[in-house]
Amino acid sequence: MIELKNISTVVQGRKILDDISLKINKGDIAIILGPSGAGKSSILKIMLGLWKASTGQVLIDGVDITKLNEREILPVRSRMAMVFQGNALFDSLSVEENVAYFLREHKKLSPKEIDDKVSEALSFVNLNGIQDMCVDQLSGGMKKRVAIARALSFDPEIVLYDEPTTGLDPINSKAILDLIKRVRDRGATSIVVTHILNDAISIGDQLSVIKDGKLVQTGTVHDLLESDNQFIRDFFYEVFQDAELLKNKNIK
Amino acid sequence: MQSNKILDSFKNLLLSLQDYAFMLADLVKGCGYISKYRKDIFHEMYLIGAKAFLLVLFGGLFVGIILALETGHQLDAFGAKSLVGRTVALGMIRELGPVIAGLLLAARTGAKNASEIGAMELSEQIDAMRAFGTSPVYKILLPRTIASLIMFLPLTFIADMIGIIGGMVVTNLSLHVDTSFFWTQAINALKLKDLLVGFSKPILFGFFIATISCFYGFRTRGGTTALGKSTINAVVVSSVIVLLLDFIFTKIVWEIL
Repeated sequence: MIELKNISTVVQGRKILDDISLKINKGDIAIILGPSGAGKSSILKIMLGLWKASTGQVLIDGVDITKLNEREILPVRSRMAMVFQGNALFDSLSVEENVAYFLREHKKLSPKEIDDKVSEALSFVNLNGIQDMCVDQLSGGMKKRVAIARALSFDPEIVLYDEPTTGLDPINSKAILDLIKRVRDRGATSIVVTHILNDAISIGDQLSVIKDGKLVQTGTVHDLLESDNQFIRDFFYEVFQDAELLKNKNIK
Repeated sequence: MQSNKILDSFKNLLLSLQDYAFMLADLVKGCGYISKYRKDIFHEMYLIGAKAFLLVLFGGLFVGIILALETGHQLDAFGAKSLVGRTVALGMIRELGPVIAGLLLAARTGAKNASEIGAMELSEQIDAMRAFGTSPVYKILLPRTIASLIMFLPLTFIADMIGIIGGMVVTNLSLHVDTSFFWTQAINALKLKDLLVGFSKPILFGFFIATISCFYGFRTRGGTTALGKSTINAVVVSSVIVLLLDFIFTKIVWEIL
C-alpha cells in the first residue's frame, strides 16, 4: 500500500503541495485529478523520491521514503516505474536500448534474456519489430507506448503515469488507457495523474481531486459525482453533459 | 534595493559553490563505477577527443606560426633569430599549447556537455534516469570527466607539436633558420620542469571544464532560453577558469620549482 501523510512541499518560496494525505490500495488504479498547475505531477515525483517533501511522510508498504537518501531509496525505486508526461525516452538510445535500460543497469541477465524481456514488453504494447528504430523516428503515440514498455520491462509493482494521454488523438488515448487497465490486470498498482475527466472516469478505481496543491476530495466516481463541493461540481460539469458515459457507468 | 541584489547574488554564488562541491564529492564516490560505465567513457573519449582533433590541430598550428613570426622578427632585429626555436618551444609547451587547447576545448566540450545535459534535464531524461535507479553523476558526469582527463593530454601534446612544427616551417621560410637547427634548439631548451608544467595543465583543465560544464547542464531549469544561458555560462566560466588556473599554476610552479 502507498500512503501519503500530511505532505507539503515548497519550491522557490511557493507552496506546491499543502497537507496532502492519501491512501492507495494495492492493485488499484488511483487517479489524481485536477486542473493544470494544481500540483499533481509533484505528487508523483515525491512518491518516487525524485523530489523531497518539505514535511510529511510517504510510506511505500510501510517504509517512509522521505527519510532515505538517494542510495537507500534504490531498492524501493526498483519496485516502481514511471511513465513521464513527455515520455523522457533517452534520445541517444534506440528503442531496444531504452526498453532494456533498467535491465542492463541493474539486472545480471544474459543478452538473450534481455532480448526476450524487451520483445515481451514491446509486444505487450503492440509494438513489434521496432527495436532498432531511433526514438525520434517514432510518432507521439508510439513514443508513449515505448515509454510504457520501458516502465514494464522489469515487472514493477507500482507504475506511475504522468498525464499519459495528453496530446494524443482519441484512438491512441484509448489504446493507452486499455494498456493501463491491462497493467493493472497483471497485478500492478497504478497511479495516474491527469486533467482529462473522461480518462479518469473510464479507468479509475479511486479518484482524488487536487486544487492549488490541496486535496479537495477522494473517493469513487460515484462519491465525487454526488459531492456538494462546488469545485468538484464545476470540474465534473462536462460529465453531466456526457450521457453515454454516465450510462456506461450505471450512474443515475 | 541595490545592496539586497548584491547580497542575493553573493548568496546564490555560495549556494552554487556548495552544490558544485557536493557534486564533486558524489563524483569521487562514483569512481567505483568506472568499470561499469567503461563503454560510456570510450564513447565520450571519441566525442571529446577524436572529434576535437582538427580544431586543436589548427589552433595549435596557427598559434605556433604567429608566435614564431612575432618573436622571430623581434629577435632578428637584435641578431638573435637563432633563439626562435627555443622561444617557440618553451612558449608552446609551457603556456600557449595548454591554454589554446584548453580554451578551444572549453568552448567545444563545455558547450556540448551543458547543452546535452541541459536538454536531457528539460525533457525529464535526467529524472527518468534517477527513477530507474541510475545516478546521473555516475552515468553522465563520471564518463565525461574521465574522458576529458584522458583525452586533453594527447590533444594538448598535438597542439604543442604542430605549433612547434608550424613555427619551424615559417621560421625557415621567412627568416631562413635551418629546420634542424631550429629543432635542436627547441628540444635542448626544454627541461623536465617545462614538460611537467605543460603536461599537468591539460589534466587540470580537463577536470574543471568537464565538471563545470556538466554542473551547468544539470542546473538547467525552464525552457530553451535557460538552455542557452546554461551553455553560455558553461563556456564562459570554463574559459575563465582555464585562464585563472593557468595563472595560478604558473605562479606556483615559478615559486616552488
